[in-house]
Amino acid sequence: MGQVEPFNKLELELRRGVVVLATLSQLRAPRYGYELRQALAEKGMPIEEGTLYPLLRRLEAQGFLQSEWRIEDGPPRRYYALNADGRKLLKRLTGAWQGMNGAMDRLLKEDTR
Amino acid sequence: MNANDVIESYITDVAVRLPRSQRADVAFELRALLMDELQAKAVAAGHDADAAMAIELLRAFGRPEAVSARYLPALTIIAPSDGHRFLRMAVVGLALIWSAGLLMQVWQPLLSGQDVPHALGQWWGRTVIPSLWWPGVLAVGFGIAAWARRRWPQASKWMPRGGDEIPGGRAAVVLGVVGILCGTFVLMEPSRVLDVFLHGRAAPAAYEALTYTDGFRQRQAPWLFVLLLLNVPMLIAVIVSGRWTKGLRRMDVGLSLSTCAVMAWTVLDGPILRAEASDRTARFSMTVILACVLVHLGIRMFRTVRPAPALHGTHG
Repeated sequence: MGQVEPFNKLELELRRGVVVLATLSQLRAPRYGYELRQALAEKGMPIEEGTLYPLLRRLEAQGFLQSEWRIEDGPPRRYYALNADGRKLLKRLTGAWQGMNGAMDRLLKEDTR
Repeated sequence: MNANDVIESYITDVAVRLPRSQRADVAFELRALLMDELQAKAVAAGHDADAAMAIELLRAFGRPEAVSARYLPALTIIAPSDGHRFLRMAVVGLALIWSAGLLMQVWQPLLSGQDVPHALGQWWGRTVIPSLWWPGVLAVGFGIAAWARRRWPQASKWMPRGGDEIPGGRAAVVLGVVGILCGTFVLMEPSRVLDVFLHGRAAPAAYEALTYTDGFRQRQAPWLFVLLLLNVPMLIAVIVSGRWTKGLRRMDVGLSLSTCAVMAWTVLDGPILRAEASDRTARFSMTVILACVLVHLGIRMFRTVRPAPALHGTHG
């Protein structure tokens, strides 16, 4: 039982490390916050709303996303999408992630032999 | 209060902490997003959204101050790597200030049987509350250090430091030797200062103020001057060898501790100078020097690292 809390903390740290990449990966086409959260959850990457929505603003302020208000069958919503810098960042982060993922796969396989 | 009121209250609490230029837009977007979330929650629960459901949603979303902070770039005042050091320095500093205050304000009433609770109240008001300047100064210092490391990362790179090197080089030690010789010459007969600066035309009271009592002359003075002068051959050895060897370090610690012991004896034993006012100043100065030397030795001891394996492993 004493192992549960450290596990939760460590898992949260792992998750934090991939939140930006997961978010960028789902913004090749414009999406608004709630829609994006649903898309991530459906693909097995639930991100807390209190984390995701401010993150979109921060990524926009850093110059990786563009956004606009739209009205499509409902109230006005702010849609976010990757801009040119965001696409470059996604490409680089994807490469880095694949490298780390491969290394981790090898490390973990060695461990289970 | 209905669900909308709860959400409006939450949005206001988040937005008010944001820069004015972002407030309206973030609040508008946040309201739309929270309404979407609440609607989904109501559908899942199978009934209309109410205030309790909204509160549950918003508590899961996070405290308003935490959420508004996430909208802004991270701001670090004290670097996390400095956190432990900051806490240690704050606690040790406060403990020293409070102890000194306790000693000065409560010790005397305690000995003379005066009103101790009143003295404690004075200690609280005059020492404890004003001592909060210390963590404030530390926070500013650590904040500036963290900012400087971010601003000039190249300049804050770690550099190896020789444990035996002479701070300031040989020139500093030569100056130290000259200082000790001059200081000893003056301290042996302080009224010489008056002869040098006033050519013997000072008032008799001035000479009296700078004249040692017979008791000090006979008891502590010889020890103090001998200990002071023993620093000279030690520092000459440092100049010759060009570094603080282990033996010289040990000798330095031994001399410092012996000098501290004689200074403590001097302060506690009785008057040093004949005039009361100058004696009070001399004893106060000696106490301050004594405290500084002890703190310096304590810090040096604390910073000493002798690599050695732990006697007990941590694996079970």
